[in-house]
Amino acid sequence: MRKSFKKTILASASAAILAVSFAANAADKVNAAFFLEWATPNQIAKVDKTYDKAMGVPVNWTDFKTGVAMTEAMLSGDIDISYSQGLAPFVTAIQQGAPLKMIGIAVVYEANNCFVKNGLGINSSNASELEGKTVAVPLNTMADYAFRRYMAALKVDVSTLKIVDQAPADGAQSLADGLVQMACIFGGASAKAAGEVGTPIMTKQQKIDNGIGSFDVISVTEKFATENPELVRTFLEVTEESNMAWKATDAQIAKVAKDAGMKIETTKAQMADFMFPSSKDQLEQYFSKGGIAASAAASLGLVFSGDSDGSKIAKTLDGSFLK
Amino acid sequence: MVEWFSDNRANLAAVIVLFLVAMLIWSFYVGRKQAALTAKDEVFGDPQRTRGGWYWSVCGVATLLLVWFYFSWGMGRAYFPNAANEMCQVAKLEEVVSPIKAALPIGSRYYKSTLLVARNSTQLDAVQGELPVDAFTADEQAELNELIGKVRSLMVNASDPKNLSREATGKLDQLVFKLNALSTELRAGSANLSPTAKALAQPKWGTTHIEISILPITARGVLFDNVATKAKEVATLFVKIRNHPPANVSVITDVKARISAFKAVNEIGKFDERKTRTRAAYIKSVERIFRRLDDGTIFPANSLDGVNSAIAGLDAARDHARGNLGTIQSILFPGQGVVKSRTQCTEQGSARWLPKPTDVVATFLRLSNPDIDGGGGYKGIPLLWWKWLPVADTVGFLVPDWIADIWPGEYAKHGSDATITPNFKDKLLNFARGKVYLGVIPVLDGHLWDSVFRVLVALGLGIFLGVPLGLFMGVSRFFKSFFDPLIELYRPVPPLAWAPLILTIFGITDDGKIFLLFMVAFAIMVISARTGSSGTQLSKIRASHSLGASDRQIMWNVILPNALPEILTGIRIAIGVCWGTLVAAEILAGTTGVGFIENIARTVSDYELIWVTILIMGLLGLMFDLIMRWVIEKTIPWRGKG
Repeated sequence: MRKSFKKTILASASAAILAVSFAANAADKVNAAFFLEWATPNQIAKVDKTYDKAMGVPVNWTDFKTGVAMTEAMLSGDIDISYSQGLAPFVTAIQQGAPLKMIGIAVVYEANNCFVKNGLGINSSNASELEGKTVAVPLNTMADYAFRRYMAALKVDVSTLKIVDQAPADGAQSLADGLVQMACIFGGASAKAAGEVGTPIMTKQQKIDNGIGSFDVISVTEKFATENPELVRTFLEVTEESNMAWKATDAQIAKVAKDAGMKIETTKAQMADFMFPSSKDQLEQYFSKGGIAASAAASLGLVFSGDSDGSKIAKTLDGSFLK
Repeated sequence: MVEWFSDNRANLAAVIVLFLVAMLIWSFYVGRKQAALTAKDEVFGDPQRTRGGWYWSVCGVATLLLVWFYFSWGMGRAYFPNAANEMCQVAKLEEVVSPIKAALPIGSRYYKSTLLVARNSTQLDAVQGELPVDAFTADEQAELNELIGKVRSLMVNASDPKNLSREATGKLDQLVFKLNALSTELRAGSANLSPTAKALAQPKWGTTHIEISILPITARGVLFDNVATKAKEVATLFVKIRNHPPANVSVITDVKARISAFKAVNEIGKFDERKTRTRAAYIKSVERIFRRLDDGTIFPANSLDGVNSAIAGLDAARDHARGNLGTIQSILFPGQGVVKSRTQCTEQGSARWLPKPTDVVATFLRLSNPDIDGGGGYKGIPLLWWKWLPVADTVGFLVPDWIADIWPGEYAKHGSDATITPNFKDKLLNFARGKVYLGVIPVLDGHLWDSVFRVLVALGLGIFLGVPLGLFMGVSRFFKSFFDPLIELYRPVPPLAWAPLILTIFGITDDGKIFLLFMVAFAIMVISARTGSSGTQLSKIRASHSLGASDRQIMWNVILPNALPEILTGIRIAIGVCWGTLVAAEILAGTTGVGFIENIARTVSDYELIWVTILIMGLLGLMFDLIMRWVIEKTIPWRGKG
């Protein structure tokens, strides 16, 4: 009895010591995160191992389902660079004090659509009729952000809506079943399904007029950026080169489609809406003082948390690696 | 009152921890004494042995809470409420010197220069080995090899201490001097320093959304903050120091000229498309390495020894100035300590994802505040409160609209004077839709109630339908054989697998979620009732039969009481599994519920909220289980005694 008790104490003590772990920091490989079904030109460089050659270290690519998962992996030290992390998970991570920084813009795309069920006769001109209706929104995502921007632009009081938190695929299904009157959707397949039974509340032009857009960012851990600035710089350089080399030829699209795990047609349709800003444009428009990146991050921060400080988020934007 | 507690949660925790330690020791003492007392006259394996022993429950709960307090840093905060702020100031220093450390063996085992030389040499070798012989002429190949040699010589020149420019040496010496000055300042101590009024006015550790306030609130913290500010300038200087040996200047010009010459040839030369691409790619890869070497970031190994030892000196001074903070940190703050990110200081290690018990209670109290406008509730809905429910809503739910449609006659139309006179058919439709006033009744409302309601309804339906079916399956050949394949086929399917179907069949209202939970409860109830009824002793049935009991009486008075222990155990299991499935059910179309809160909290990594929901579910499950134990005690006191 006494002996086993001592053993227990010993075992728990050693477990406590093991819990205090140390992380090694030699950059003998770089771990990057990306999304499947999100076609970008740099996947050609990824497949051709241009990154590995240019950076001189092997680059491990891991696919993720959500931007939040990317943040979690970066915090636990498993991922160094996240390519195409959504702005929403980046901003929420910063609000929680995560040591990350935004070093580039990966993709600029049209804001996610909110589809109004066909047959209700509701469009942007009489959007106030939405009040009292049920809306499917994947909360705390870029689609949520777009939804709130639309409603603000159309002067609809969000508190009068019944908001249901649904993943895009479920939201599209509920829209088709008539359970919700509007569904805000991200992702190609779900948006296509929702488009069958609904119409976007705002047209492409209206979105541009109201300044509602989305972009994905390239983020790194502060530790990695401090210790390996030259690797970060080369990573962005290779990304820039593959964006410049993008001519949307059949061979290129086939390569990207295969890596993204999509059909050629879907890839084409998806990439038609994508824009990949050059380093120069990113520096001038996004990372300049009060640029798009800072203002979008600040307003996004306010959507998700009432007491968000936009100037603090702006401190985590770092365009210096693009130069 | 609540605010006072919230603000002084650290002191509160200090009292609680002391109390828990006392409880732990006391209950352990009592438990040992009791065990010694009864050790002789108890038989191993006797269920009576497990009765009583509440002191061991106290012991278990105290241990659990103490472990929680320890790993969440709640214990550390209780007795050293300023420690996190001081650790934050130390972390500031760590953050600003990290660019220097990253280039030195003290931070990353090797000199950054060593790593760069190794990496670039390997790359140059690789590039040289991959020279596409079919794309370049023999002359060009020779020239390319020479070019690569020149690029390589950049590294050689930069690594030679003799080539280190006087300017660079001077700057490095200056750097060492400044670092040593910082060490001296740290060692001088914080005797004359005091925190600013602004810093002292900051919220306490963990009381607001920002965990750790950033301005120093102690003299020691001010010292580190001051040194960190100065060290930042030093680090900026360090990053700007470049090693440009004079020998490299001509090489750089030469290489640049050669590369642009190759590029020019590529452009005017009439190569086919594939060849042009290969040539351009090759030149590009050489240029990329060259561009990394021409910026003078490689230093002779020994030239940075001074900086390395100055940093080591700074580390030693840091440990000296930290004083007992280092010891406190290693004992009471498990994990990687406090890390300063660009904007704030955060707890790392277990404290990052494990909130302190007192903070969880505070968050729970904030959630349970029914005053929505006063910041209570979650997403505009209270945690547990009541509201007035119009009776008409229930009527509208129960009475189908088509009742009005089949009533003879037509719905009213607006008259020529633009007025509408509703007829009976209209009134009937309004009634069926619940658009009439029939009075109001108070009902419970809120996330917690919605979850409990779903579980209870599902469980009720599961018992109501599952128990009779199970009993009949135990006694009837038809019921057993007819339902067995059905039940056994669907039972092993995990509830989440039904989720995609539930949405499209039942929609987004409560019934889908309830159905999902019902499926779980139903299977368990059928199995347990069946096992119970088929396990009835034949002699009992025969005895009652020979005494003249009818089938109904046998079922009611013999089989059911015999099956009751199994059924009640089944209910206990079903409650647990229902709570387990609730989070999955509430993902489907989240509007309310504890699982909904957890799903949303997850998307913003709000660990406090996540733990609150986990604890709510755990405590509710425990409560239900205690109720069931009481029911078992009351209804089947004979269990385990026959």
